[in-house]
Amino acid sequence: MVTAFASRTARSVSVRDASLEDGFARRQADAYEAAYRSCGPRMYSTALRLLHDPEAARECVHDVFLHLWRRHNAYATQRGSLEAFLVTCARNAALTQLRTFTRGRAAIGKFPAPVAYEMEEDPVERERVARAVGNLTSDQADVVQRAYYGGMTLAEVAADLTIPIGTVKGRLSTALRALRASLIPENADAG
Amino acid sequence: MQVNDHIGEAAELYAAGQLDAAEIAAIEAHAAGCEACLRRLGEVEETVLALERVNKPLAPPAATNVLPFARRQISPWWLVPAMAAALFVGFLWPRAQSSHDAATLALVNGHFSHAQFAGAGPKAKVLYARDRSWYYVIVAEAGRYDVYGVAGDNRVSLGSTNAAGSTSELFVKMRERFDHLELRGGSGAMETATIR
Repeated sequence: MVTAFASRTARSVSVRDASLEDGFARRQADAYEAAYRSCGPRMYSTALRLLHDPEAARECVHDVFLHLWRRHNAYATQRGSLEAFLVTCARNAALTQLRTFTRGRAAIGKFPAPVAYEMEEDPVERERVARAVGNLTSDQADVVQRAYYGGMTLAEVAADLTIPIGTVKGRLSTALRALRASLIPENADAG
Repeated sequence: MQVNDHIGEAAELYAAGQLDAAEIAAIEAHAAGCEACLRRLGEVEETVLALERVNKPLAPPAATNVLPFARRQISPWWLVPAMAAALFVGFLWPRAQSSHDAATLALVNGHFSHAQFAGAGPKAKVLYARDRSWYYVIVAEAGRYDVYGVAGDNRVSLGSTNAAGSTSELFVKMRERFDHLELRGGSGAMETATIR
């Protein structure tokens, strides 16, 4: 069991690893370790983009694994891709940290949309995402840039755009569904 | 969230990082018993992943590549006391779901750090919580040793070790950040361990 996941390395997310996901769902330490190896780099880059602090980003990833380890039944294979789950956890944890600590406060709202990442980026994916964001209505794009890329809260977005919070919620939900339709081919979650 | 409610647009808000911990816990609790909502969360997570693929994966800094679940090499002489410390901490750690969880976390997941005492005295080590909430001093000889914590100009007595078989130990639950610990035996010989 120790070596079952040991040789796995980072790879394209669309290829799901059923045995790794099953081990993670069963809370096997080896699967957690393998997941850290295969998904950790993506989680780290996600956290780093928000936090702009390598040590804070590393701790964020570490904390996500510890938090999930303490929670029984944190992940179920029926949910979908383990990497998607972990990256979302890392992103939410980074946002929480960003909003909680003063040191990150200055960065909120100042991080631009995907056309100008400071980090190393994949030009093909950047183009794909930029095109998908470009296909949103301008109202939706305004909300996505602030709420998703900028890390602003719903209230901050509402105040910034002088629209009700309910409108922000609606635009954000619609925009994310549209992005999903653009970025993820039909039946991509099947396996 | 009511039991019969589905998560609705909360799924997208979760994906966009707009829910607080209590709200996330609520939708997770619902999704645990509702496969449709569980799959919906999986779908919005795929959207997040697609957006985040713009960034190439990066290895965490080499100096801090401590895997949360990596097995560690532990010096044999303090392995047994370390296990005891981890179990003891397990009983004191209210957030852990069981002492076994806490012990596993403490030992395997790097919950604690450790430092070797250096000086003229016996071989000794201090294990301490990363948040400095406890210190556990283990001396590789039975006997009584006085332990002090030093922070700047302040020097605080933490107590004395008690013999436990072939070793001597002191566990202190004290949320203080010390620069180093001092260990003094009956002969007056002093050792110090730097807390990093």
